[in-house]
Amino acid sequence: MEDLAAHSAPLIVARGLTKQFGELKAVDGVDLDIAPNECVGFLGPNGAGKTTLMRLVFSAIAKTAGELTVFGLTPMQQRKQINAHVGVVFQDNNLDEELNAAECLLVHALYCGLDHRTARRRIAALLDWLSLTAKADSRIRALSGGMVRRLMIARALLNSPKLLILDEPTTGLDPQVRHAIWAALRDLKRQGMTILLTTHYMDEAQQLSDRILIMDRGRIILSGPPNDLVEAHLERYVLQVSGLPAVPRLDGDIRHEHAGDADYFYANTEPPLQALHERLAAKYAILRHANLEDVFLKFTGRGLNE
Amino acid sequence: MTAAEPTVLADLRGDLRLRTNLFWSLYGVWYRHFRVYTKTLLANATPPLLEPLFFFTAVAIGLGNYVQPGGFEGLSYRTFVASGLVISSAMFTAIFETTFGTFVRLVFQKTYDAMLSTHLRVPEIFIGEMLFAATKGAVFSTVVLLVTMAFGARPTAWCVLVPVVGLLTSYLFAAIGLIVTSYVKMINNFSFFTTGVITPLFFFSGTFFPIKGHYVWLDVLSNALPLTHPIEISRALFEAHFTPATLAHVAVLFAYIAVCHTLALRRMTKRVLS
Repeated sequence: MEDLAAHSAPLIVARGLTKQFGELKAVDGVDLDIAPNECVGFLGPNGAGKTTLMRLVFSAIAKTAGELTVFGLTPMQQRKQINAHVGVVFQDNNLDEELNAAECLLVHALYCGLDHRTARRRIAALLDWLSLTAKADSRIRALSGGMVRRLMIARALLNSPKLLILDEPTTGLDPQVRHAIWAALRDLKRQGMTILLTTHYMDEAQQLSDRILIMDRGRIILSGPPNDLVEAHLERYVLQVSGLPAVPRLDGDIRHEHAGDADYFYANTEPPLQALHERLAAKYAILRHANLEDVFLKFTGRGLNE
Repeated sequence: MTAAEPTVLADLRGDLRLRTNLFWSLYGVWYRHFRVYTKTLLANATPPLLEPLFFFTAVAIGLGNYVQPGGFEGLSYRTFVASGLVISSAMFTAIFETTFGTFVRLVFQKTYDAMLSTHLRVPEIFIGEMLFAATKGAVFSTVVLLVTMAFGARPTAWCVLVPVVGLLTSYLFAAIGLIVTSYVKMINNFSFFTTGVITPLFFFSGTFFPIKGHYVWLDVLSNALPLTHPIEISRALFEAHFTPATLAHVAVLFAYIAVCHTLALRRMTKRVLS
């Protein structure tokens, strides 16, 4: 296990990986290769299967069919060897609310198999790194959402993992905290950490990921580096207009999409959209670069699909 | 938070020697429960300790004045009731730990998610939990023993072994609690169990009166109940009166533990990993 980070074979391999809950295929025939030191962002609507996929990786549930290896080992059968090198930040904060910050980390460090002395050393280092030293003796209930989230990240790093799994790490946090957490995660990546990340934030995925996987209904429907995805699947510019009474006549270079009360006009150059913008004189119109969110919505549908 | 200290980075990269052996895993889980429980010790421990003492006051001291002067089975009535209460208090603390306690950790606090993200295996998590319940049971037995002695119970010196019986009793009932919890979908469902199972156990296992020789059906029922056997062992210790039947009670207690332990781990594995 010493040279986990050193070898260049994929850290995680999945072939036709499937997880079924009753009739529901939460993960449906997923193929996956995650390289060491890669940061992969999983995007997808609620219920797309992102969290289930993560849970399969750290042996929280058993697969129904297909193949899955992590560090070349088999989840469930070899959960001890795998999870010794995995850290998980859950979507829901599940720190022990009765305890203070340092105690929360201590009990988790013992689960991981650290002795008390090593645990204390690492707790001090991690609290310091995440600017939480002053809060070491504070009860969890007395901490802000951002502090609790950083503490969750500190907890996931106690065992010095090779693979870090983050389930919606910055949902519901203010911009300052989000940027601070992103900086910390980039720091980890520079040190060779492999990161799996699920998120609903396109900017988060774009900021951190080498590669983005878009999931829908248990399948990976799109995969690639964030900027390539936009280039490969959309025109460069988009004019987004809401509350348009009627769609005007368009020249050949503009593509039109309608969803809800909004209309989207796509083109590879700016001038035709600028001209359209002026011609419409609509109150709520914005001309911008096409981004990951447009790709995401194009492929997962613009309506609610719950 | 921007520029991390080099020592920290080196430390984050560093290879740690992790103790993934069974002992350390059980200790980690036990330690978590111990730390959380003792953080608010007074609030946690006072009510369950007062309850057996209320029973002792009302039944052994109050009602005891009207009970036949010689007591039962060669014990004064206060001593007789005390020998049962030391064990039933161990049962109660264990059963609440692994029914309501475990359910809250499982469904609301998601404590086991955190444990399962580490190398810990499901059996290690729940053996650790039962061992914590057993520790609490041993302590409760001891405290109830000392307090009832202060109020007139007179056991023999063999009662130093009562904490051991308390420990075994609470391990057993922790396992039974886990089996029940593994089936429960809503927290309200436990009231069927506490009223329908635990209350009859408490009254028909010989805590307050000798079961034997009144009705055949009561004899049969009582011998089938898991609480009867540790109470009989405790009573043997209280009066220093050991018979082949005592040995049989020890054997039945261990058989119960073996079966319930195995079932509890199997059921909780299924529940937690689905």
